[in-house]
Amino acid sequence: MAESERDDDHPVPDVRLSGITKRFGDVVANDGVDLTLEKGSVHALLGENGSGKTTLMSVLYGLYDQDDGDIYVRGDRQEFDSPRDAMDVGIGMIHQHFQLVEPMTVLQNIVLGHEPTEHGLVDIESARTDVKAITDRYGFDVDEYLDVPVRDLDVGVQQRVEIVKSLYRGAEILVLDEPTAVLTPQEVQGLFDVMAELTASGHSLVFITHKLDEALTAADEITVLRDGGVAGTVDAADATEQELARLMVGREIDFDRQPRETTIGDPVLEIADLYVSGDRGLEQVSGVDFTVREGEILGIAGVQGNGQTELVEALTGLRPVESGTVRFDGADITGTSRRDRIEKGIAYIPEDRQEEGIVMDYDLVRNSLLGFQTTEPYVERGVIDWPAVRDHAEGIVEEYDVQPPDATTRASSLSGGNQQKFVVGREIEHEPTVMVASHPTRGVDIGSIEFIHDRLLELRDAGLAVAFVSSKLEEVRTLSDRIAVMYEGEFVDVVDPEAVTEEDLGLLMTGADPESAADHPAAGSGWSDGGTPAGDRRDES
Amino acid sequence: MSGAGSNRARAVLDRIAARLLDASVGERIAIAAASMTLAILIGLLVVAFAGYDPVQFLENVAIGAFGDANALARTLKFTTLFILTGVAVAIAFRAGVFNIGVQGQFVVGGFATVIAILELAPLLPTGTTGGVLLMILGTVAGSIAGGAYGALPGILKAYGDANEIVTTIMLNFIATGAVGYLVDGPFRGEGNRAPNTARIPEYVSLPRVVFDVPDFSVVGLAVTLVVVGAIAWVLARTRFGYDMVTSGHQVAAAAFSGVNARRTVVATMTLSGMVAGVAGALFAIMIQGYYSDPAGIGTYGFDAIAVSLLAANNPLGVVPAGFLFGALDSAGSHIRINSDVPVQLIDGIIGLVVLFVAVPELFRMAAERTGLGGEN
Amino acid sequence: MNLNDRGTRLRLGAAVATVVLALAAALALGWPLADIVTVGFVERTLQAATPIALASLGGLYAEKSGVFNIGLEGFMIFGAANTGALVWLLGGASPTQADLWVAMGLAVALSIAYTVFFAVLLIRYRANQIVAGLAVWFIGLGFGPFTAVLVWGNRNSPGLVSVADVTVPGLAGVPVVGPVLFDTSPLVLLTIFVAVAAWVFLYRTRYGYWLQAAGENPKALDTAGVSVTRVRYAAVIFSGAMAGLAGAVLLAHSGSFTGTGQTMVNGRGWIGIVAYLFGNYNPLGAAAAALLFGGLDMLQIQFQTVGIQVPNRLVNLFPYAAVVVVLTVWSSTRMPSALGEPYESDD
Repeated sequence: MAESERDDDHPVPDVRLSGITKRFGDVVANDGVDLTLEKGSVHALLGENGSGKTTLMSVLYGLYDQDDGDIYVRGDRQEFDSPRDAMDVGIGMIHQHFQLVEPMTVLQNIVLGHEPTEHGLVDIESARTDVKAITDRYGFDVDEYLDVPVRDLDVGVQQRVEIVKSLYRGAEILVLDEPTAVLTPQEVQGLFDVMAELTASGHSLVFITHKLDEALTAADEITVLRDGGVAGTVDAADATEQELARLMVGREIDFDRQPRETTIGDPVLEIADLYVSGDRGLEQVSGVDFTVREGEILGIAGVQGNGQTELVEALTGLRPVESGTVRFDGADITGTSRRDRIEKGIAYIPEDRQEEGIVMDYDLVRNSLLGFQTTEPYVERGVIDWPAVRDHAEGIVEEYDVQPPDATTRASSLSGGNQQKFVVGREIEHEPTVMVASHPTRGVDIGSIEFIHDRLLELRDAGLAVAFVSSKLEEVRTLSDRIAVMYEGEFVDVVDPEAVTEEDLGLLMTGADPESAADHPAAGSGWSDGGTPAGDRRDES
Repeated sequence: MSGAGSNRARAVLDRIAARLLDASVGERIAIAAASMTLAILIGLLVVAFAGYDPVQFLENVAIGAFGDANALARTLKFTTLFILTGVAVAIAFRAGVFNIGVQGQFVVGGFATVIAILELAPLLPTGTTGGVLLMILGTVAGSIAGGAYGALPGILKAYGDANEIVTTIMLNFIATGAVGYLVDGPFRGEGNRAPNTARIPEYVSLPRVVFDVPDFSVVGLAVTLVVVGAIAWVLARTRFGYDMVTSGHQVAAAAFSGVNARRTVVATMTLSGMVAGVAGALFAIMIQGYYSDPAGIGTYGFDAIAVSLLAANNPLGVVPAGFLFGALDSAGSHIRINSDVPVQLIDGIIGLVVLFVAVPELFRMAAERTGLGGEN
Repeated sequence: MNLNDRGTRLRLGAAVATVVLALAAALALGWPLADIVTVGFVERTLQAATPIALASLGGLYAEKSGVFNIGLEGFMIFGAANTGALVWLLGGASPTQADLWVAMGLAVALSIAYTVFFAVLLIRYRANQIVAGLAVWFIGLGFGPFTAVLVWGNRNSPGLVSVADVTVPGLAGVPVVGPVLFDTSPLVLLTIFVAVAAWVFLYRTRYGYWLQAAGENPKALDTAGVSVTRVRYAAVIFSGAMAGLAGAVLLAHSGSFTGTGQTMVNGRGWIGIVAYLFGNYNPLGAAAAALLFGGLDMLQIQFQTVGIQVPNRLVNLFPYAAVVVVLTVWSSTRMPSALGEPYESDD
């Protein structure tokens, strides 16, 4: 019989995690974590990458078995052998990477595994009725998409489908893993409204995030994880961003800008009227113009999925353009190949280091050759001089503080931060004229983030033109000389980081005009604006 | 297959290859030995069940593979073919391109070699000089033909996004059928009742050194090993090789580093086809001496896939792996003549070896349980 | 069949265009169409299509669930050889219809046994699917004729028994359709039934949903509470059973076993794969493709009877070439996304 801890004086929390500890080999992912989720509340689980948030929720969700500690659901102790057990007691998880079967319709996806049948065949009409009951109840607007294959839908709509799926399966406790990563600020508000609706009807929610402002806005309580342990649990109403940041990191974060010491020079990179299409043939970059100068850092801000990826790929030669020009040092390089651009001096820190920046199975020596295949002395007339490459790798490892400092280590053994430092170092070793960086500090620990920021500033001071894309607003504001905000394939504005407020930036990122928004507060929330099916703005990461 | 699906499939097949790559040399040898042993054991069981003498059978297998100089020569003969086709497969697999079409490229290469030699022979002097020239030219022709036939699915994949596993399998059948038709009709040797081309001239043959048999020359083996060495060097020490192998690991990283993915795919398939073509040339010159209905020629190109997997797609590893298969095939030839056990059994056993090679996991788990193997 | 899918429309269009062109060419060349496209031809086409269709449906299910079973040819060889051997064991030199049916049933049961072993290797031990499939082919090529030699002392069997036609009184009299469908081998009707059932099962039942999910996004299926492994096992075992049945049907239509060369199966297992690729993983599409290929096969005989010389070997290549063209030009054969990926449930 399950142990019970009912106590008539105090309403039983929906979920109570007590002393959860989980190890993966030597790494302690969760270290004695306590968390209480009250019924009808929203609890945010905040922390940096690697703090143990996802692991903790995976334990709750039945994916992992904890090494120590207990899970209580509605007062009863539970032991989950699998996610199905968790689902049986009403816990549903909305993953960051949706678990949808692309060629099947929304309706089919929602009822998968719990299909109503009649005479052996799936009773799709009965399913439709049941699903509509749910969508009407909580105000989801997916009715028009019920018979559309999921692959044709916008990411925002897909997420709604995921949530409806959980509700259909009887989830009363929902765990959302970084739900806003793929949404525009407008859609985020819509999500928050749905969350409010759900809690009002007695559901309880946990949502994992690393965004301070969202935690403060949407949650009732916030638990901050750091390095596997609980740094603190606070009421959202009483907490501030500074406090949360301090809990997350363990020390004050310096949000101030560094004063610059050098002047900005001539234009090096000139982009005119650029149009670029994405993987599925839809336009992602719609007529972008900008210039980057020597000794300048241009930050490109925006929610992921607004064309930044395609823009960067067009700049670095990884994607052809539909029309428009890219000029480097006055010369038109629009049609040139990636290799050409490497040789000309355009270095690139890619968005996905584990897919693009390094080969996980290679050691650092082999990885150091990536991008240098036509550079002497490493390769002469097609033949590789491995001892020279080895020196190259060892140099990078030493100068860019890569741990462990052994060039024969396999890349996959390095932590994210060290991998990134290696990539950054290697790219700088090109002695480029232009550095393009895409989310250069994603998934990187604080120490490495600072290291990388310092290197980028050094590049700027040395007279390079730097263009970088990031969705971390603080980073963009700290490093950039100018900030270009990208929304739906266009630069909606280019602003001075010292003059613009974070609020305005957020508005720009939704395509709104800060001036008019001041007069007219955001028009109604809710989801009925509808995501555009097969929209021209999707998360293509 | 769409680009995204293709990437995922590649990642998946990568993972499978990576599992084998992860295995150390020692583990690999153990798996090879285990596969062989298990397959032969099952073969012995079948033999016994069918009423024949298993011990005798085993003896015959050993004698057939290594019993005397002739047997050894026969083993080495098959070995050269397995090594060359195995290397052809290894090149492609290492680069992440799943060339299942080595059989077809081998057939096309061999046929082209014979036709080239037949056509050029009247134009060149007879005797040793002519012979050597013709062999070289014939091999070049075979290599070009094989390369072209490999380039085709490469191009279809690079520019048409056509899944190479399917296209190469289809092209195998097309090659067999088309060459079979040609050999049966337009290119049938004069006066031949069977669908065969004419024979290539007597003087076009490799010298008999060490072994005095008509269908194997140590020179052939030497050529094979030179090819292996060359390919191994290209993969390890040239930029082209690095680009290819990197493409095989992570296409996105290769693209990032400036590798032109499309050209690399085509180049990979072409090189793979060229080596298969050389295998075909060797087969035509050293072993058969003319070209016949490909449907009757052994399935070297298919077995080569198992050979390459066994060797973790490493050209150097293909040598011992090829030798293993060569020994089995040789044993089969011996049994066909010297035993009344139906030779199809050997085909079946080879099939079993291939099957077990495909399941290294089986042996790893068994090893763990019996405490023999590694710690995973 | 989803007509909204551009790929399907293209394929259909191409098929229609090919037939029209072929007819036009035939007329232009003065071929005696009436002597070629006879009722007998249609009957024989259906019979020839059945083993291909059965194997194709099986392979389709396996691949849809995420497992590539390219060993269909091998399983078919076993099916044919086992049926022949069993018929001989049961009825000696002159077996009866009953013997035949029992033999077919037992052969299918044997196929299921083999396939279970194969499925375990593929799923539990994560064998490389391509190599394992090829291995089954080699094993079939070896042990099939081996069985024949053991049983008959020869790779080919003596004449055994072919399945008797079944006549449905009344319906058989209907012009054209009558003799084709209602006075023919019962195995043809069986195959038609299986094809339709396969379609309904795949698109209209929950198990069909699960199958599709297993091949596209096994994680989604797992979290929906369904065992991906079980679904895949079922699909693979079904594919082996179907291939075995296909081999049995092949024997039943031909009446004896031929184990020389590529054996009587002679690539039909591979054509089965081609058929479902061609049919874009739709059971009805696969069956239609099988019909097309069966027709081509029989067409050669028709040509011979009216004296037209067409190179056999080249015509045989049509299915293979067609798939290559289709894949390249239309590239809309959507392989299941999780194909080939061993699934590890985190249980």
